[in-house]
Amino acid sequence: MMTPTTTPVETDPTPAARLDSLDRIGIVRYPTRRDEAWRYAPHRQLAQLSFGPPLAASGEIPAALDEQLPTLDGPRIVVVNGIVDADRSNLTTPNGLRLSTPADALMNMHRAEQSGSHDNGGLVDDEVLDAYTALNFAFADSGTVIDVADGVALDEPIHIVDIAVPTPQQNGSCTHTTIRLGAGSSATVVETRLGVGNDVGGSNVATTVSLGHDATLDHVLLQDVPAGLVHLSRVDVTQQARSTLRARSFNLGASYGRLAYDVHLAGVDAQADLSGLFVGSREQILDQQITVVHDAEGCTSRQSYRGVLYDDSTGIFNGGIDVRPGADGTDAAQSNDNLLLSNRAEINTQPRLEILADEVACKHGATVGQLDETAMYYLRSRGIPADEARRLLINGFADQAVDDVGIETVREWILDRLRHTND
Amino acid sequence: MLHVNNLTAAIAGKQILKGFDLDVDAGEVHAIMGPNGSGKSTFAHALAGRDGYEIDGVATLDGVDLLDLEPEARAAAGVFVGFQYPVEIPGVNNMYFLRTALNSVRRARGDTEIGARDFLALANEAMELVEMKQDFLDRPVNAGFSGGEKKRNEILQMAIMQPRLAVLDETDSGLDIDALRVIASGVNELRSPERSVIMITHYQRLLDYIQPDFVHVLVDGRIVESGDHTLALHLEDHGYGDFVNHDLDDAAERPLTGATS
Repeated sequence: MMTPTTTPVETDPTPAARLDSLDRIGIVRYPTRRDEAWRYAPHRQLAQLSFGPPLAASGEIPAALDEQLPTLDGPRIVVVNGIVDADRSNLTTPNGLRLSTPADALMNMHRAEQSGSHDNGGLVDDEVLDAYTALNFAFADSGTVIDVADGVALDEPIHIVDIAVPTPQQNGSCTHTTIRLGAGSSATVVETRLGVGNDVGGSNVATTVSLGHDATLDHVLLQDVPAGLVHLSRVDVTQQARSTLRARSFNLGASYGRLAYDVHLAGVDAQADLSGLFVGSREQILDQQITVVHDAEGCTSRQSYRGVLYDDSTGIFNGGIDVRPGADGTDAAQSNDNLLLSNRAEINTQPRLEILADEVACKHGATVGQLDETAMYYLRSRGIPADEARRLLINGFADQAVDDVGIETVREWILDRLRHTND
Repeated sequence: MLHVNNLTAAIAGKQILKGFDLDVDAGEVHAIMGPNGSGKSTFAHALAGRDGYEIDGVATLDGVDLLDLEPEARAAAGVFVGFQYPVEIPGVNNMYFLRTALNSVRRARGDTEIGARDFLALANEAMELVEMKQDFLDRPVNAGFSGGEKKRNEILQMAIMQPRLAVLDETDSGLDIDALRVIASGVNELRSPERSVIMITHYQRLLDYIQPDFVHVLVDGRIVESGDHTLALHLEDHGYGDFVNHDLDDAAERPLTGATS
């Protein structure tokens, strides 16, 4: 059971890994335009973010925010500025599910260090790639750790809500989610990312996923922070043999919304199916940075991302397939289809393929288009006014990414949100 | 009801319709036949309001000038064109599309919109007409439909829209005999004293199932001959050779076996 307000101040063992992470900020420099994965990020805006240990939000969170959330059955953990908000959460857990906080995990890590073991609980990635991730690992004391026991199939989704409330003292918040699925277990986790206000600020959320053999995770990420804020998200996944990941992301809010996935297929016959939709308007920059590493035989991966870009918005799809030596029989495919709805909108789409194994099937493709004139004419010839025909076609394009979200209330939430895009 | 006078249409500087005249009264079924490239489909699209044509002349429906209207307003005025190549629209549910279309037209006419339940009843009735299964409504518009299913979907739309004037562009093309029979009986069911139908077709085959009141031969952008349904039989036997490469006077003077004009 989670202790929602755990502040690690008195008991903070500052394990070596955590100190490491802080140290690394000095070593791992902040990314710049020269880093391919950060090429289109608004670096000047990112430089205005200030991060530190979690601070309570000053002022009230509008009640309307609760109504903005998709309603789901099952446990709900609401994290405000990196601190679990017990009043807004539902921490009742079914058998086989254990919820805790990264602080607890840090304690365990500390104990492990004391006993000479190097188990870092999946909390700290050995290859921290950029300063924002290092900051996250250093400051995300609270947040959520989900442990699903071997063989347990959870019926109800677990909903994790992250709310960023920038304050004058500290405008950036860090949250960490850890999802560990035991062998043969299955679960659905929905992560919703929201925020308050439109001052400079944002959130930096990292999710670490480890799937035991034969485990299945449905992971849905809904990014809808206010238009003035920045959202940095990173999901690192490690998959054991025959495990399945289905990741669905919806990159909708923020001035800069960055959703990065790094999936490591470490066991044979593992499957990763990632898809997503990004819908930008005004001057939004919506960035998908996807890498799937095939590091075992017979794994399958799919990346399928759709972009809809209005006004002056920019979309980025940087999709990598990395087939390591020995990952024979890899079956990998990626696609990125985009609809540009203004002559000022921009899409940057880039496949990165590195294949160092045999008998590999690897496909990739990207399309960029405008609304189909023939389809517009067809709809209008049936009496549907041009504006409505346009909306119908755009929604039709986007809906294909929404259709394979398994939870109906989440699908409805997305469709409702899309109806209000560009109002 | 439909009055077309000296209609011309050009696309990218190329003249396709070169003075097209046609009058269709309420309740009549007309067939327009002609060789490839004679302008049959262009006529249908000129009436429906497709972009990209330079149009001149007159086309009115019940006195309303169609040529000034946007495509959606022409639909509201009662024009329905069944497409030769119905467009696939992945992601848009067929039922939702049909209801949006019907309600758009009703709204434009100042009628109340039809609710989901009433619409379903209406749609089910129309589906029986074209012998379609329920799941047809749940699929995306025309996406992955067979040729025959697409054409049935056109007639389904016609049955739901209940247009004043239906222009069916090569509705028979690419159909096997069973699909042809279904579509023809659908069109026959929709014949009414209030509604006119123009069938554009290359072959006489469809006219075995839907007997037209008038048949017109379109050659090089003009109607060169008009007659009753026996004109179609003449064309079946003799092809369009009698009409191609002759000017209008020639064509009119030649005795047409089987034609009774």
